Amino acid sequence: MKIITDKNGARDPGLAEEIRARCGENVYLCYQCRKCAAGCPNRLFMDSTPTELMRYVQLGMAEEAMKGNTIWYCLSCHTCSARCPQDIDIPHVVDALRIIVQEKKIKTDTGDAALLNRLWMAMLRLGRMYEMGLAGLMNILSGHPFKDARLAAKMIRKGKIKLLPTIRKPLEIHRMFKRARSLKK
Amino acid sequence: MKIAYFPGCSLHSTGAEFDVSTRKVCEAMDVQLCEVKDWTCCGSSPAHQCDELMSVALPARILALTTETEGLREVCAPCASCYSRLKFAQDRLGDPKWRADIEAVVGRSCPDDIGVYNMLDLVSDKVGLEAVAAHVVKPLAGLKVACYYGCLLTRPPKIVGGANHENPSVMESIMETIGAESLDWNLKTFCCGAGFALTKTEVVLELTRKVLADAVAVGAEAIVVACPLCHANLDGRQEQINTAFGADFHVPIFYFTQLMGMAFGIAPGQLAIGKHLTDVSAFLKERALL
Repeated sequence: MKIITDKNGARDPGLAEEIRARCGENVYLCYQCRKCAAGCPNRLFMDSTPTELMRYVQLGMAEEAMKGNTIWYCLSCHTCSARCPQDIDIPHVVDALRIIVQEKKIKTDTGDAALLNRLWMAMLRLGRMYEMGLAGLMNILSGHPFKDARLAAKMIRKGKIKLLPTIRKPLEIHRMFKRARSLKK
Repeated sequence: MKIAYFPGCSLHSTGAEFDVSTRKVCEAMDVQLCEVKDWTCCGSSPAHQCDELMSVALPARILALTTETEGLREVCAPCASCYSRLKFAQDRLGDPKWRADIEAVVGRSCPDDIGVYNMLDLVSDKVGLEAVAAHVVKPLAGLKVACYYGCLLTRPPKIVGGANHENPSVMESIMETIGAESLDWNLKTFCCGAGFALTKTEVVLELTRKVLADAVAVGAEAIVVACPLCHANLDGRQEQINTAFGADFHVPIFYFTQLMGMAFGIAPGQLAIGKHLTDVSAFLKERALL
């Protein structure tokens, strides 16, 4: 059992309400049955279980919720939400936490997830995902230029990855992003 | 039967086998796939991790374009991630507040009553197993397969509405219809690590290793999948897994549409069988499928 005292970082009593306002999920429904933790396929990589994450949000423990690696190791596989007896969409809560971290530019190790999200959303403006460019940029910007080089060579040989991007309706997508941004303001 | 078709980015690149084999078996079953014109990326996982509105607006655009595809009201999205995002968009469109925002972003009217199907649904519900059986000329008799669903085809059940999300059996029914034997195993709805391949590859290697090991333990000769990310991880990462864990996996990974095609008597070359990264030629020779 983890014992947490007030020494562990600053509290944000409004955190649960902020999550509810952002995604509609009510974390107060969680009664800590641990079904989510038991079924999580990625539990062993996480600092805290999904059950503990729900508790952090209930108690406004923003630092534990947002600076631990748990939200960045969630696979969004929905094993937890499918089994939650209180019908909480836990990956939706995780997404809301991730969005807060990225929007407020909170400094924490996302394990390259924030970088991938940024690149992905930028490249999405081509219309269709350009995997070769995405993987190449990811490798360079994350400091692992030769990651999966052998695999990539095999994929190119088998014609499984396109060398050039396919561009579709970039202006329309650009306008969608613009309208979404102005709606959020 | 005519249905709109949204292949998505993966089916045009890393999952090309799924696209090719889907088109072939649909042609054989008299299902006309009308590709949605000017389709764009559904946003997939990164979008819902950083921008909730865009994560539903992007797939909502596809729903809007579906009606512009010969006025069709049904769309087939074979990719599990595209399918999931279309279903999420549809769910949010049912909420008036979300709907107003989504339509403002997309700039089109977005219907929430489009029938969204993945390929498993299309084959079992729209075409029907009896019709599938009628096309089988070369049953895959005795072939022992483990059917792998991964996450998003069945979860979250309140969004995708799949029957029995803990123990789905539609792929097994299809495999039995084409003569193969589907095995009972534990990890058919376990996650393969999905999109972590570009960031936390160690997660993909660990989870995929578990899936491969469980399938091999029950005696599977091949794993059958219905998702391009599952395929990329299971097929493409075996060599890395063997190195990392001192294992010796050489498990053929097929899209269920590829096996259907072979049972329909379509030549393996026409089903993009040669694109596998884990070699399947020895397996096909042994089974006299080449």
